Amino acid sequence: MFRQIVLWVLVIGFVGSLFPIVVDACPNCKNLDEPIARGFNWSILFMMAMPFTVVGVIGGSIFYQFQRANRNLKV
Amino acid sequence: MIHSELELSENRPLSNAKLGILILLGAETMLFAGLIGTFLVFRMGNDLWPPLSHANIQLPRVVTGINTVLLIISGYTMFLAQRAVQNDRVKDLRDYLIFTGALGLLFLIIQGSEWIQLIQKGLTLQSGVYGGIFYVLIGCHAVHVLGAVIWLIIVIGKAMAGKYSSISYTGVETCTIYWIYVVALWPVLYFLVYFA
Repeated sequence: MFRQIVLWVLVIGFVGSLFPIVVDACPNCKNLDEPIARGFNWSILFMMAMPFTVVGVIGGSIFYQFQRANRNLKV
Repeated sequence: MIHSELELSENRPLSNAKLGILILLGAETMLFAGLIGTFLVFRMGNDLWPPLSHANIQLPRVVTGINTVLLIISGYTMFLAQRAVQNDRVKDLRDYLIFTGALGLLFLIIQGSEWIQLIQKGLTLQSGVYGGIFYVLIGCHAVHVLGAVIWLIIVIGKAMAGKYSSISYTGVETCTIYWIYVVALWPVLYFLVYFA
């Protein structure tokens, strides 16, 4: 079953790649003048980075706390 | 029984309270990221900033800069307060907490007076995108400072009552984390809104 799904995905991907078309990833940015589109772009990139930053900082902080506790236990 | 469970929680590598405050700060970061993202759209979408309709309005950069320094100092005194309680210097703890709270209040008073002046000049929440994003972004941070000051007053009350020691100081620690977060966020907003 899984192999069939993978096979179909590959076939559809291959056929799709034979007929490339240009698409707008963000419908809001279509036909906008350049400054607004640039604003949207930077905003999207900034907000995309945020979840990774938050999870990274919280995860890193928890990891650091446990590492420190382990070090103290060994001493 | 309850006391021993509390002690057990505080002796873990990461106490429940600390984990809770980290999750809260994660949510706060996402809130401010959304607001900053909105600001970026408006700022980069306009070549003229402030827009022509608000060309006569100058944001008070110097006074706000001094205010920024005051807030950063309050972050340092809050850090010193935590150091004091870790070393069982209870009197120093109270002094640093009171000094920090006073600086936080001073920050809010100065910002409030700036807002009054800006409103008198015609910059209001309804006066277009420029006023709207300014008051929402800066106001959201001010509400957080106010929340931090209220929290700090509660911590000061408990410190006065002798509830904190070098063994048990989770209240001071979580308040310090929140305070330093609010302090660290402000320079980012200041440079973004006042200089971008």
